[in-house]
Amino acid sequence: MNISVKRIQAIFMKDYKEFSRNYVISSVVLMPLVLALFYGRVGSNSIDMYFLPLNITLSMVTTYVQACLIAEEKERNTLRGLMMSPASTFDILFGKSLLVFLMTGIILAVSCYLVGFAPKQIIVIALALALSTAFYLALGTICGLFTKSIMEASLAVLPVMIIFTFGPLALALGEDHLLYKIVEVLPSTQLIRLAELSQANAAFTELIGAFSIITAWTAGAIAISVVLFNKRTKDL
Amino acid sequence: MTAIIEVQNLQMKYGKEEALKNVSFSIRKGEIFGFLGPSGSGKTTTIKIMTAQLTHTGGQVSVFGQPASEMNKGHNKSKFGILSDNSGLYQRLSIEENLLLYSQLYNLPKSTIEEALAFVNLQKDRKKKVNQLSKGMMQRVVLARTIMHKPPLLFLDEPTSALDPVNAQHIYNGLRKLNELGTTIFLTTHNMEEAELLCNRVAFLHKGEIREIDTPLALKKKYSDHSFTVELENGENHVVYNGEQGAVQLMEWMKAKRVSRMYSNEPTLGDIFVQITGSDL
Repeated sequence: MNISVKRIQAIFMKDYKEFSRNYVISSVVLMPLVLALFYGRVGSNSIDMYFLPLNITLSMVTTYVQACLIAEEKERNTLRGLMMSPASTFDILFGKSLLVFLMTGIILAVSCYLVGFAPKQIIVIALALALSTAFYLALGTICGLFTKSIMEASLAVLPVMIIFTFGPLALALGEDHLLYKIVEVLPSTQLIRLAELSQANAAFTELIGAFSIITAWTAGAIAISVVLFNKRTKDL
Repeated sequence: MTAIIEVQNLQMKYGKEEALKNVSFSIRKGEIFGFLGPSGSGKTTTIKIMTAQLTHTGGQVSVFGQPASEMNKGHNKSKFGILSDNSGLYQRLSIEENLLLYSQLYNLPKSTIEEALAFVNLQKDRKKKVNQLSKGMMQRVVLARTIMHKPPLLFLDEPTSALDPVNAQHIYNGLRKLNELGTTIFLTTHNMEEAELLCNRVAFLHKGEIREIDTPLALKKKYSDHSFTVELENGENHVVYNGEQGAVQLMEWMKAKRVSRMYSNEPTLGDIFVQITGSDL
């Protein structure tokens, strides 16, 4: 595979400059922080409550911003320019995901601090959040590639936000409910499970199930985004 | 001379609609080839096929001796530059920042940004944000980006459509300079004067078919009625045809010092297009 650090860096810097001058989209990153501050003040102390602002960050910042960045490239006819340049699919997708990945990392870390969540196994949680970020980034890329404008992308991410952010709340319906079985395999639910086990100092072998499910979702979403991206290099 | 582009019996169908019907032409290295036709005649479709943005439904297309479908491979992407309606710019970035991105994507030294800015006469405006530019200036930035990596082959889809005559002239001079350095140019345009000024050969495309292909001079000779108009001192205009009768008449007027003006009735490329296709550009 043709990978160029210089090209990835160039796309990252371009996105950073564009994003920092786009006040409408860049202000979105503040919302999860406000929510985390609120939850922190309320004094929530369950993993479910800790992870609500974190899952909101993943859908609202990661998926939404990524979808908007990709959709804007399509709307302005700049994505085809990138595709026609010597940059490879990997250079473009990685370069275009790097800004949101780093931004998500910072917001998640600050949110954890604001809600008062102190992971006992910090590496496990960091790894799970990194994997989840990659999944939500791929979802954002898919939404952006499917839509033609920022407006369309903003609408396309709504189901993602509802299903993945608020899906875990359906667990309260009880194990016998059909929704429970569906919601149980969502990456956001598994992220909470993993955090609960981790806070209970579970052995790594007990975490493999949750990690596997999140990894499978991530790999699937990345594969779809790459296929879709390659399809978009052509008109038909 | 080596053919850079070879197109044989190219067909393109969108469902039942035929956008291109058995289009054939070849372009030699160092040539400026004009692809002329009205909107919807298939010019942009042809460019998209040659640059692997579209898969044709029939015929053969090779670029640099390879199938056109290979043009989206990494090593081939530096061999050509493309300017089209779909060439967008980053609106919140300055002209310089837009060019900087592409200089990095093509692995070029920063000095190429200067050269590209000089080419389109935008050195003084380099710090301006793209969203503050006129359409013509944006077109010049896209052109600067297209030629920045000095590709041996340029696809220019209506490059001066949004430019005023002064800036269009500036671009013509630049394109001639690039061509002198060996760049092959595939140019689509509505502007027949532009085609006549720049192109070594032109093809007339109408409803997906090539109706004529030759040098502008050869086409003019072919479609000329070999006449010229003589304006006499009293304001009368007479069309004089090549031949003995015309020569005698002209001689009489000249002996009597009655000729005020004489000019050729040679058709323009636009006239020829209308004559061939029966429709305007």
